[in-house]
Amino acid sequence: MSSVRTASRLNRLLGMLPWVIAHPGTTVEEVCTRFGYDRRTLAADLNLVFVCGLPGYGPDDLMVAYIDDDEVVVEMADYFSDPMQLTAPEALGLISSGLAMLSTGEAPEALRRAVDKLAAVMFPDAGDVLTVDLPEPGMAGELRRAAADGMVMHLVYTAIAGDRTTERDIEPWTVFSTLGNWYVTGFCRLAGDARVFRIDRIRSLRAVGERFPRPAETPPPLVSYNRGDDDVVCVIRLGSRARWVTDYYPVDVVEDSGDGGPVTIRFFAGDASVAARLLLRLGGDAELLEGDEVAAAVADLRRRILARYQTLRGDPE
Amino acid sequence: MQKVIERILNLLAFLLTVERPVTADEIRMTVAGYDRGNDEAFRRTFERDKDLLRRLGVRLELRPTDAWEVEHGYSVRPASDFPDPGLTDAERAALWIAAQVVRMGGRSSGPDAMFKLGGTPLIPAGEPLAADLGTSEEDLAEVFVAVSERRHLAFAYRGRDRVVAPYGLAHRRGHWYLIGPERGADMIKVFRLDRATPVRATGPAAGFDRPDEFSAASFIPDAPWEAGDAAETVAVVRIDPALAWWAERQLHDRNTVTRLGDGGIEASLRVVNPDALIGWVLSFEEGAEILGPPELRQRFIDRVTA
Repeated sequence: MSSVRTASRLNRLLGMLPWVIAHPGTTVEEVCTRFGYDRRTLAADLNLVFVCGLPGYGPDDLMVAYIDDDEVVVEMADYFSDPMQLTAPEALGLISSGLAMLSTGEAPEALRRAVDKLAAVMFPDAGDVLTVDLPEPGMAGELRRAAADGMVMHLVYTAIAGDRTTERDIEPWTVFSTLGNWYVTGFCRLAGDARVFRIDRIRSLRAVGERFPRPAETPPPLVSYNRGDDDVVCVIRLGSRARWVTDYYPVDVVEDSGDGGPVTIRFFAGDASVAARLLLRLGGDAELLEGDEVAAAVADLRRRILARYQTLRGDPE
Repeated sequence: MQKVIERILNLLAFLLTVERPVTADEIRMTVAGYDRGNDEAFRRTFERDKDLLRRLGVRLELRPTDAWEVEHGYSVRPASDFPDPGLTDAERAALWIAAQVVRMGGRSSGPDAMFKLGGTPLIPAGEPLAADLGTSEEDLAEVFVAVSERRHLAFAYRGRDRVVAPYGLAHRRGHWYLIGPERGADMIKVFRLDRATPVRATGPAAGFDRPDEFSAASFIPDAPWEAGDAAETVAVVRIDPALAWWAERQLHDRNTVTRLGDGGIEASLRVVNPDALIGWVLSFEEGAEILGPPELRQRFIDRVTA
């Protein structure tokens, strides 16, 4: 027996009971739509309620719950008339999602009211203690409209720091944001395959004037860590101050000392320069254990940066 | 599963009507579905049931059953502690779409929370938009509850143990920040939560007063290098023409940006977290340079040389 399934069934049942009690005469259809039941599972849950109640457990102590034609009837269950309380993670999840969507400026007025009502219940003594800001880059709206309308877009795109700028036509599918960056997924006609682009690296954007049929199913909006055969792999030991890397990059944990101490990871990237920039940034908090290509990229990046600082450094004296 | 659900319904019905704390023993002898013969079997079942109730959001509390505090019993905190927010159908539907579109830690909030709020048609959002706020609800729950109940939080941050009055919680550009003063201090600081480990609540509820005019939004840093507790400096960074457009997109209006004759830019940035600025400058590889102040420039060179 799965306790997750039990919890989830109980949760729905305990959500449904107060609602039915508050809306006498409600229909099977209404309850099914609202709580995701079909008639059979609703009847099964009501049958459970029917055999439960207060100590004594005689006919006068048990709850009454059944389907009468098209009506859902729950009686003698007044102690279940208060709605269930949200757990802290549930309340946080809903309020944060709502605030995030509001900050993109693409949300209906009803969402503002819903978030205000929930926040007033969670933080009765204060107004603005939780804030979620998801500033959208200017092109996100245009790309989202293009995705919704099936418009082919032409982009000038800079892949990573450096001068690798390309131009390509894409069929945009989904605009999404993760860890503070905005991305667009789509079919890239240059690559002939699905691709993910960071929106802040799109230098310019215009509609080609051609439409594409939106695929029935698109891949989930994730920064694709489809590890290719050409991926660069290295092994890095992270000190405790650099553990956050495991949350921000697609890594495999090789060895974890646990308890916030050092952790050894296998790091994957499409390009060695990604790992090189990270390693320089972490400095003494990380150590490269394996990966010749990355070691060479670190040395190369170090040389290029230091050359610049030496050229311009210091007084002539 | 049916037996568990029946037992939980009976247990909840009893706790909701009894209006006094009841001992585990009384529950065992009164509520249908518990093993009265085998102590160990009862103990295990009852522990599981308590866990399940807490997971559902039922506030189960252990209180003394009498003034002498000889015995302790269970009671359920009344729902009036969390009044029904009274959402309309349109508000529930909007919330459900937001919960699907904006995920936390890779997961979207399931329908469980919506059922507690009165249910809503579970239609897929179908929007070409999705966002992930990084950390999961569970990881933030302790902080969220502490903010809500005004309890202090203890954690290690930059090698030092702190106790902070959590005035507020904020998300910006992929990071969650805790905002509040350290205990015994006045200055309100901003802590990045992924750098604070481990975070736990300490002390009683209502352990501090939040200033009336407090607004979490006004403390969110516009850039990572504006969140920290190093002494403030103004860094001057030069960015080459090829990537100046990308840098400018990441800088907010309050920064002073000077356009140079070659198409590059020179930006003056307020810095209280030098490591974060160094990380940002490194993202340009050799296409950017910290011109000053000299200590920060040297720190960058040392970092790259290390």
